[in-house]
Amino acid sequence: MRLTRRRFLKLSGAGVVATALPLDAAPARAQSGPVRLGILAAKAGVLAPVGESGLRGVQFATDRINAAGGILGRKLELIVEEESSPKDTVERFRKLALSDKVDAVSGAISTGVGLALGPAAEEMKTIWLAWDATTQKGVEESMPKPKYSFRSTDNECEAVMASLLTARHWKGKFKTVAGINPDYSYGRDNWAAFLAIMKKHGIELQVVSELWPKLGATDFTSHVATLAQAKPDLVFSCFWAGDTPIFMKQAHAAGLTKSTKFVLTTGGGVHESLKKDFTPEGAILGYNCFYFENPKASALAKEFTRWHQEKFKEWPNYESDHGYFTVVALKAAVERAAKAGGGRWPSQDAIIQALEGVEAESLSGPRRYREDHIMEATFFQGLTTHRNRYDFVTVDPLESMSTKQIQKPSGVGLYDWINGWKV
Amino acid sequence: MLFLVAAGLQLVFGVQKILNLACGSFYALGAYAGVSAVRWALGAGLPAPLFFPVLLGAGLILALLGPVVERLLRPIYDRDESFQLLLTFALVLMFEDVIRFFWGTAPHQLGNVYLTYGRLRVGGLTVPTYNLVVIACGAAIAAGMGWFLSRTRFGRVLRATAENREMAEAMAIDMTRVYARVFTLGMALGTVGGALVIPATAAVNEMGIELIVEAFAVVVIGGLGSMRGAFVGALIVGVVKAVAIATWPEVEMLAIYVIVIAVLVLRPTGLFARAIA
Repeated sequence: MRLTRRRFLKLSGAGVVATALPLDAAPARAQSGPVRLGILAAKAGVLAPVGESGLRGVQFATDRINAAGGILGRKLELIVEEESSPKDTVERFRKLALSDKVDAVSGAISTGVGLALGPAAEEMKTIWLAWDATTQKGVEESMPKPKYSFRSTDNECEAVMASLLTARHWKGKFKTVAGINPDYSYGRDNWAAFLAIMKKHGIELQVVSELWPKLGATDFTSHVATLAQAKPDLVFSCFWAGDTPIFMKQAHAAGLTKSTKFVLTTGGGVHESLKKDFTPEGAILGYNCFYFENPKASALAKEFTRWHQEKFKEWPNYESDHGYFTVVALKAAVERAAKAGGGRWPSQDAIIQALEGVEAESLSGPRRYREDHIMEATFFQGLTTHRNRYDFVTVDPLESMSTKQIQKPSGVGLYDWINGWKV
Repeated sequence: MLFLVAAGLQLVFGVQKILNLACGSFYALGAYAGVSAVRWALGAGLPAPLFFPVLLGAGLILALLGPVVERLLRPIYDRDESFQLLLTFALVLMFEDVIRFFWGTAPHQLGNVYLTYGRLRVGGLTVPTYNLVVIACGAAIAAGMGWFLSRTRFGRVLRATAENREMAEAMAIDMTRVYARVFTLGMALGTVGGALVIPATAAVNEMGIELIVEAFAVVVIGGLGSMRGAFVGALIVGVVKAVAIATWPEVEMLAIYVIVIAVLVLRPTGLFARAIA
């Protein structure tokens, strides 16, 4: 097609209008028909199992909500996109906001992706409810006062809880420690938090080895050999993916599990792969915010666990609960805002306002969004045991802590907060 | 293990002049197939110590898919390397989806068969005997490949093809068949490598991509297309990694690439760069 002068003017005019529009107006959203919820779920690589798990929680919530008549009578419809690199995920977020005109986006696990999505959500004026992807450092650095982003619990919560349990159970029983943590912000921050808390509790320790394998590594024989040489009393690790069983298996083969204490802050994410064959009893194991065999589980949690086991032949893990909560929190906020606004479908600003401080029943009990858009939840950890009906370890007794205790409050630095504790 | 995959890469490159990124996927496929085969065999009442031949068998049977994959690659033999990289990378992604379809996303593993053969104490360190079995197996395969390439008729055909394809073709060698076979052999090296490593680790979706990067480092160090290079390169990468982790863990990844860069600058063809030697 030949480009005439007239056509060129027309096109460029349209372009100017198109680019000008999103600057001062949020994308138009439907007021009737189904509520459209965009999902960003990782499907490849290290994050795939976690993304899958989050999606299952979202699906469970959506099915239940729709079976009960939807949100204010509108059905919930999911538009699932993939979480991958920060750049591509932001592109998909834009697509969900602009082309699919979603009412909100739920998803994202990777901290790196989260740091990129935060500004994108503000720019696109689209509510984003993160499953994970939250480090307080990131919040401080890039998004002091977000309007559209609602974040998860902090990355460091599980390290804080595991450190408190370490101090409670093992103070005075260990001297030399080693850390083996994935080499990115999550691993670095958790290890630093652990050391800070040990110091705060007056535990004098000697770090004999600090190992930083790449995220997603599948061979730890050299690391294990180094640990065997260093002979630490305690090994701290925040592995959370397939690296956990591989490391434990190779550590066991090298005879490390006989006398060494293990702190596995996040291994519960792949709990079914932590077989009794190579995972010792008496290790501290964290399940983040959802433990599938919680003796105090609600009827809802039991129903979910049953559904998950029947459908996928697996016992569920925490990411499902994060995903589940984002959906029910959105529903609760819409209903809250509608009630305040006389029963009509609320504006986006009203929904955002209602999300702040909203409380909803998650799979692990009540949860809420703090006024600074950070989640509040309950975390579960405990000492591993082999006395169960499975071929993998579980914990007994189960210990729980609220994020009120293990998550830094709004507006304080993580280490300032830890240093300010009264122990 | 790294040696097996790198050797597969070398073989295919040497003869077919194809840079096959999918060698990492063969490794992952071998691992998953190994888990399933051993689980099935143990379930069928096989005594535990016999798991090793089952793993080997799983790797070899899987390699029967070689000719099929090779058929897919045929259109790009005479095209630019970038096409080969693109197509074989597409294969990597497809195989990752195939794995996810059949085995899901959770890590798969074989509980404790790893320690079936017991543990040995070597100079103050406890080493699972299985590791030594695998090392011996890798050395045996290396020796076998050396013998095969230099002493058998087919090995000579391969080397001739690697040296000069047109001339070999003029000597009435059927290239289509040679290519299909050599590709299958290369694939078998990958799948067997994946199957053998599985008792010591767990099969996870990303293991293929993880390995490709290291295999390429091995190939660059050893020299593209050289079997001996693959062997020495794999040794260098393994030892450097272990030493780095023991002394200065921060530089684990860096150390390998410093060597890669040094080789590229000082001896761009690699330490043993010749056609299959």
